[in-house]
Amino acid sequence: MVTMKWLEDNSFPVKNGKCEQLIHSHSFLQEIFTDTNFPMYCFGSQSIEEDNSFEGLSCIAEEEQSILDAVLLSQWEDRMRKGCFRYDVTASEIKAIAGKMKFLSQLNEGQITGHLSKPEGNTLREWDPFAFDCMRQPEELLFCVSSSKKAKSELIPSASVPDSAILVIINVTPVEYGHVFLVPCTTNRLYQFLDPRSVELVTRVAAEINNCSFRVFYDCCRPNRSNVYFQACYFPDPLPVEFRPVDTVYSGGRRGIHICSVIDYPIKTLSFQTTHNLKIMAAAICEICSHLEEKNVQYNLMITDSGKKILLFLQRSFAASNAISAWECGGYFLFRCRYEFDQVTEDAMLKRLSSFSLDDDNFEAVKQLCCSIASKFDS
Amino acid sequence: MDSKLRLIQQSLNTRYSEWIREALDDLPDNFTITDPSISGHPIVFASRGFLKMSRYSREEVIGQNGKIFQGPKTNPRTVMEIREAIREERGVEVSLLNYRKDGTPFWMLFHMRPVFGKEDGRVIHFVAVQVPISTKQRRNGGVSLSEDGSGLNEVVFGSCRKEVDSDSLLELRRVLSLDSGSKVLDIEETCKASDFEERRAATAFNNILSVLTHCSELTGRLVCGKRCSVPGAGYVSSSLNISLGRIKQSFVLIDPHLPDMLIVYASDAFLRLTGYDRHEVLGHNFRVLNGVDTDTSTLHQIKESIQTEQACTVRILSYRKDKSSFWNCLHLSPVRNASGKIAYFVGVQIEDDCKNRDGHGLSPEMRQLSAVGAVKVAVRTSSISAGSSKS
Repeated sequence: MVTMKWLEDNSFPVKNGKCEQLIHSHSFLQEIFTDTNFPMYCFGSQSIEEDNSFEGLSCIAEEEQSILDAVLLSQWEDRMRKGCFRYDVTASEIKAIAGKMKFLSQLNEGQITGHLSKPEGNTLREWDPFAFDCMRQPEELLFCVSSSKKAKSELIPSASVPDSAILVIINVTPVEYGHVFLVPCTTNRLYQFLDPRSVELVTRVAAEINNCSFRVFYDCCRPNRSNVYFQACYFPDPLPVEFRPVDTVYSGGRRGIHICSVIDYPIKTLSFQTTHNLKIMAAAICEICSHLEEKNVQYNLMITDSGKKILLFLQRSFAASNAISAWECGGYFLFRCRYEFDQVTEDAMLKRLSSFSLDDDNFEAVKQLCCSIASKFDS
Repeated sequence: MDSKLRLIQQSLNTRYSEWIREALDDLPDNFTITDPSISGHPIVFASRGFLKMSRYSREEVIGQNGKIFQGPKTNPRTVMEIREAIREERGVEVSLLNYRKDGTPFWMLFHMRPVFGKEDGRVIHFVAVQVPISTKQRRNGGVSLSEDGSGLNEVVFGSCRKEVDSDSLLELRRVLSLDSGSKVLDIEETCKASDFEERRAATAFNNILSVLTHCSELTGRLVCGKRCSVPGAGYVSSSLNISLGRIKQSFVLIDPHLPDMLIVYASDAFLRLTGYDRHEVLGHNFRVLNGVDTDTSTLHQIKESIQTEQACTVRILSYRKDKSSFWNCLHLSPVRNASGKIAYFVGVQIEDDCKNRDGHGLSPEMRQLSAVGAVKVAVRTSSISAGSSKS
């Protein structure tokens, strides 16, 4: 498959890959990082791990643009100027669908040229993200993110391969401005399963970008069970799901984990917040996710509110090819045809989301699972 | 910081004359006025009643965003509703849990409405009236009781206000005793205002509006409570103004649809770089930066890039207000709105002789491109129209 081809042939062979590709990918990465003046963003050690940095609310106006926000936007805009994308996503139309949910829809005609996705119902299906050849187009790799021992976060304009990092790679068929893949990796492998460290790192990315439009997504069902990756882009704020009222499901533990269920929304959704320790919340969410995978419950994650909130969308157990993306769960729908875009109604989208949603009984079970795992980590 | 304070001063003075603060100080109500066109959407006026209620001094409040009064129990959805109203430039009335300076929370009815410029229909200010919701009535829910309770509040506050100059110590004691009477230890999750409080908020807003309208007659730049004219093409919405305020680079937005390619937004950094005041560049042609030695072929290149809807980067000699010149590395790029159409051109300036990486490792070129990206995100996400897909 195309997916595995990129991964195995070109960059990051899985463990035991003592094949030439390893050397090959190493030299490739070395080349990127040293010769082409490749930027690396290092998290400072003091930023988010401090307990109090997670307080505060989403506010009416944000502060000054952060460094990481500037890095991502500048690199993305640079690639746009160099013509790396298949189309200009800002030329696609967005509108709000009339109704109380304030669903958003986008006419993304550029997607028609994408050869990977098949039409599914009236919205776009998830497409294969690794259908680009990184070897042929090294400029698709924007920069990488890693932790450092320094106190303050900084950008190193040219760096060597870090031991453990997140690669930030453009999606050449973007759904919104700034659309990138966040791919956790260590020197010689990618991740097969969601791990706490990756969840923590991408949440830190969201926190350090500190832009209320920025969202990170994770879809549990990846085509061909490819390696773990996240996606991110700048969406209108808030997304429809964030407008909905919530009910507290769990709170009051020592580590400040707070779980709510979103009410009056067609797809079953839980929201996780912490006032204290991101690391522990990431670990709890990971364990919840691995239980869900075991039970064959499909889910998506959406990190929002500058890393302060993580939403968990719960889908019915279909075949993996038959699940919707996290932004769709959040209320942002993509259309490839003008007629469908013009005809869309809130009712149709409500029906669509509820047809993918986990049922009530299973949702209760998931809530209980979340509470018991949270209380284990939260004590 | 000085330049921001100056902007805040001008925000009221140029629109309502210098008498405005005095006139507003005569009103007994609790309210703030904010200006969405200044970076950070700051408070430009806070009434005496508001300061008394929140226990902040005027200096601590002016220039701040309203979020400083929110705290851990403030409902994020309510904050979102307010933000949404600002985005849509309409009024909103919600019960909001705010926090005093000492950290004690209190429920109030938050009644916010935009004030529009009569001549161009753009939002000039937002007025937020804040009526404390008394605890007594919440417990009993009776209308007659609540009217009594709130009426009492008003009397006490009213008398406090009169004493403000003569005996501040007595006033302080009164306020404290009043508060100890209505102190709430357990803050409820939600709270609903009574009809009386809603009426009171509406009346207060009308009184404030009539003062603003009256004072705007003194400057000839009239305001009104309802949008009298549809904003023209040269108009930047409040929400876009607020989003753009985050971007600290020097840049302007040009509206390519207007006959003379006028500047419709100028960032604070642009004003600092060029020495102009905002009103001296808004509505003026981008040519204001040109001078005797500006190369005409470069100007032609800029014009061509706008006509062909392409991005371009040029090095051009520009002039400040004081006629001093600087080499300007200008990057110009089309910016599309949510309909996918070109709404603006953004022009980001960097002064040529300060081309070092900053303390965080960002080069000026990266800063420049990041400003372009940030403007694109801001324009795209703040221009989504509801309902109809007709563009």
